[in-house]
Amino acid sequence: MHIDSIEKLSQWQTECRAKQTAQKRKVLVCLGPGCLAGGSDEILEEFKRIIAEKKLADITVDSIKKTGCHGFCARGPLVVIEPEGIFYSKVKKANVAEIIETTLEKGELVEKLLYKDPESDKKYTDYKEIPFYARQKRISLRNVGQIDPDEIEEYVARGGYAALAKVLAEMKPQEVIDEVSQSGLRGRGGGGFPTGRKWATCAKVEADIRYVLCNGDEGDPGAFMDRCIMEGDPHSVLEGMIICAYAVGSREGYVYVREEYPLAVINMQKAIDAAHEHGLLGENIMGTGFSYDIKVSRGGGAFVCGESSALMRSVGGEIGEPRAKYVRSVVKGLHDQPTVLNNVETYATVPVIMEKGADWFKKIGTPKSPGTKAFSLAGKVCNTGLIEVPMGISLRDIIYDIGGGIPDGREFKAVQTGGPSGGCLPADKLDLPVDFDSLTEAGSMMGSGGMIVMDDRTCAVDVARYFLNFLVEESCGKCVPCREGLYQLHHLCVKICEGKASEDDLALMERLSKVIQTASLCGLGQSGPNPFVSTVRYFRDEYLAHIKDKKCPAGVCRELITYTINDKCTGCLACIKVCPVDAITGEKKKLHVIDQDACTRCGSCYAVCNFDAVDIV
Amino acid sequence: MVHITINGKVVKATEGEMLLTVIKREGIDIPALCHHEAIEPTGNCRLCMVEITRAEWEGWKKHVTSCLYPVEDGLIVNTHTPEVIEIRKTILDLQLANCPNSEVIQKMAEEYGIYKTSYETVPEGDNCIMCYACTRICEVLGKSAISAVMRGHKKVIAPPFGEEPPDCIGCLACAQICPTNVIPWTDKDGTRTIWNKKFDLITCKECGKTIITKDFADYLMEQRDIPKEYFELCDDCKRMQTARKMGEIVTRAQEATL
Amino acid sequence: MKYQFEVIPSKCIGCRTCELACAFAHAKNQKPGKSRIYPLAYAPDKYVPVACLQCDDAACVKSCMFNALRRNEETGAVELDKERCVKCGACVAACPFGCALVDDVHDEIVKCDLCGGSPACAAFCPTKALVYKKV
Repeated sequence: MHIDSIEKLSQWQTECRAKQTAQKRKVLVCLGPGCLAGGSDEILEEFKRIIAEKKLADITVDSIKKTGCHGFCARGPLVVIEPEGIFYSKVKKANVAEIIETTLEKGELVEKLLYKDPESDKKYTDYKEIPFYARQKRISLRNVGQIDPDEIEEYVARGGYAALAKVLAEMKPQEVIDEVSQSGLRGRGGGGFPTGRKWATCAKVEADIRYVLCNGDEGDPGAFMDRCIMEGDPHSVLEGMIICAYAVGSREGYVYVREEYPLAVINMQKAIDAAHEHGLLGENIMGTGFSYDIKVSRGGGAFVCGESSALMRSVGGEIGEPRAKYVRSVVKGLHDQPTVLNNVETYATVPVIMEKGADWFKKIGTPKSPGTKAFSLAGKVCNTGLIEVPMGISLRDIIYDIGGGIPDGREFKAVQTGGPSGGCLPADKLDLPVDFDSLTEAGSMMGSGGMIVMDDRTCAVDVARYFLNFLVEESCGKCVPCREGLYQLHHLCVKICEGKASEDDLALMERLSKVIQTASLCGLGQSGPNPFVSTVRYFRDEYLAHIKDKKCPAGVCRELITYTINDKCTGCLACIKVCPVDAITGEKKKLHVIDQDACTRCGSCYAVCNFDAVDIV
Repeated sequence: MVHITINGKVVKATEGEMLLTVIKREGIDIPALCHHEAIEPTGNCRLCMVEITRAEWEGWKKHVTSCLYPVEDGLIVNTHTPEVIEIRKTILDLQLANCPNSEVIQKMAEEYGIYKTSYETVPEGDNCIMCYACTRICEVLGKSAISAVMRGHKKVIAPPFGEEPPDCIGCLACAQICPTNVIPWTDKDGTRTIWNKKFDLITCKECGKTIITKDFADYLMEQRDIPKEYFELCDDCKRMQTARKMGEIVTRAQEATL
Repeated sequence: MKYQFEVIPSKCIGCRTCELACAFAHAKNQKPGKSRIYPLAYAPDKYVPVACLQCDDAACVKSCMFNALRRNEETGAVELDKERCVKCGACVAACPFGCALVDDVHDEIVKCDLCGGSPACAAFCPTKALVYKKV
């Protein structure tokens, strides 16, 4: 249906809703990144195949839907049966026939596929009651995992584009800016800059051409929130961008999607095409006379292109290098025109604010950080996955209540937030509220939402080394403090890991870090030393152990650890078989011995031993 | 006209002027390796960083590259605070590690008391400081024959795909503007070689001295409207030719009055 | 105020005092600069002091891609801005009179700037073959 008036959208919404209600039953198969890697596409095909053959009364092939990331990645592949919300986890292709027969035909549960809480042993039917989900509040992720991203009608049925219609029909551009400012929405990309203020500044600049861009570069290792929004609910991003374009007066915009997200590129483009087709994007949107068009711009594979000025240069066809920003990009951005650049999650939140109002939004979260935040919970935590929680929730609640704590009985050591620009926070900071300001004071930052949990077998120095290496490779190379400074900082960190550093080296690193933070041209360099600075702040003892004692307490840094076999050894030959350099000798049922000169510390013996006989010292 | 304070002294400046211009005009010497009047500033080398603050900032300050910072009324600038000196020292120290053989860097580092780098010398370090002066000057020409390629520590200045740059005219602007003289070029037997590209040289019809490359002359003829004949002689021979031509005029004038 | 630099070849005796004066007026780092004026013989014992003509439609100004050559409205001279000069040599090649020169000693391009308003050559010329005057 071509929407050439606001009334037509209402009509269409009614029709779409009716269609959805008419489908009594739905089988949602999660095709989010984690589940997809677990083979959920095959599960989807298997469902479709069997249902096509069976010809059941209330289920057709159309009832089997692919969705974006449902969230509980650790338990994937996931299948959810609506309307009951029956949640099957760790589903295999071989289980599909049983699910259809037992649940869809007979109305009973497949017990072995239900989620069982590891502590209480309680089995859950409705996923909304599972602790992982119960404490979440999904606003930017409201549709992700619930709709097929390729079907615009499902988006409309759930209220999609109604906010845009309201804005175009009832509000003036300045009123839109005021509402967003009132709501207190702050940029979800990591900077936390007040969104309303950004739009207001851009709108004030006198210019004929203005751009509204979306930052879908998501370069932080371990972050996949924006990916899931772009893949799972692309229209929410488009709607947010169109509302912004109306507010600031822009006719043209781009979604900058990183090249490493091919599905996101495809899904955003499909959504743009569908929106064009229905008169919701392009010339004369909904017949109101307002025109704004969006194109997808693909990144070239550079973390630095997530930086706003580098992103704009990349979109403009130049080398993705940042520029010194004494003239802000809201004033002079893409092609030297005023430009608004916001994050995917920020745009996805905008339609909800316009629909429900600024006051509603302010009631969620904290006064200075209203609303919710999406996080990708990863690392040494039981329940890894995609979550969205109200701001102000504590790190402890996220990691233990939602995250289910640390697996394998190990202890919590640190949580890394904010990606390479952020920092590590130790156990005594677990009660800090997660918002824009509290974590920054403690020496980290909330960042764009990547949250990596570490246990006691993680070496803080090694973590710093890993992130510094990442930054050295991703630095654009234009300015000396970042290019040369981070290179030397990384080099010195490697020296520490290898046990070759002195205390003078540590002091040099601290001095160098300060200069890099002050003198770098862009945010990548300015926050570059953070992995080192935050770990040295909270885990100084570990650094000194590497330097003075030449030991790695966590048992990670290869040059400083030794693998030995203790007397729990049963002589099963397993380690001898896996050792890549044949460093272990021993006979069946006799104690095995590791030749220290040959051992490369690869850890294979430790991984394969079932008797806890390998010690890392 | 705006008023700003530099190191405690109030000076006048034109609104929108870059801070570095004003600082230099006041005779204050701060290093600025990537800066040149012929090209737009980019703030690559970070050496011209200074501390700025304003009365209303209540003590909060920040550091900016003065080459790129437009002056505003009421700006308070300090060019030699301990923090600023530490920045300059560290940058020169890092440059010394990357460009161990550059005399220019060695000299600048010595002025700040650094005689040996505190860091490990980069094994493949050449003397390029990545100031982008060469690429920027080539852009001003309208040629953009070379550019920075690759990322981070692997970044180098190179022609497209490492091949002969199709747009290069052999004018040597890049080699001349380079603050550390790292762009090699040779003139031999009527051929100039730079960026692995060979150019025919125009030589003086009378004395055979090298003038410029043929491509450069073509560029000046087309883009700057200089007649072809102007490139036939070197400057020494052109002066001689001028003398002869003027002499003819003088002789004719003298004969006319007789 | 308008000025004019007058050259009267018939008075030139080829003594080269102007050349010396110019070199010392532009000395740097205790070394004399390259002279911008040369008395050259067009016939035995007949000389012309060849100096920059400060052309109205100067080829050097046209040839400079970096706007380093600009007219000084007060003195009338076309001046070379050392800060902008890249030393590409376009002006040296373009000037039809050979009056933009390469100073190898100081590694720079030079041309006559009328000494900023009181040309040394005119001040020292013994025969007044060079005159700088108001018009």
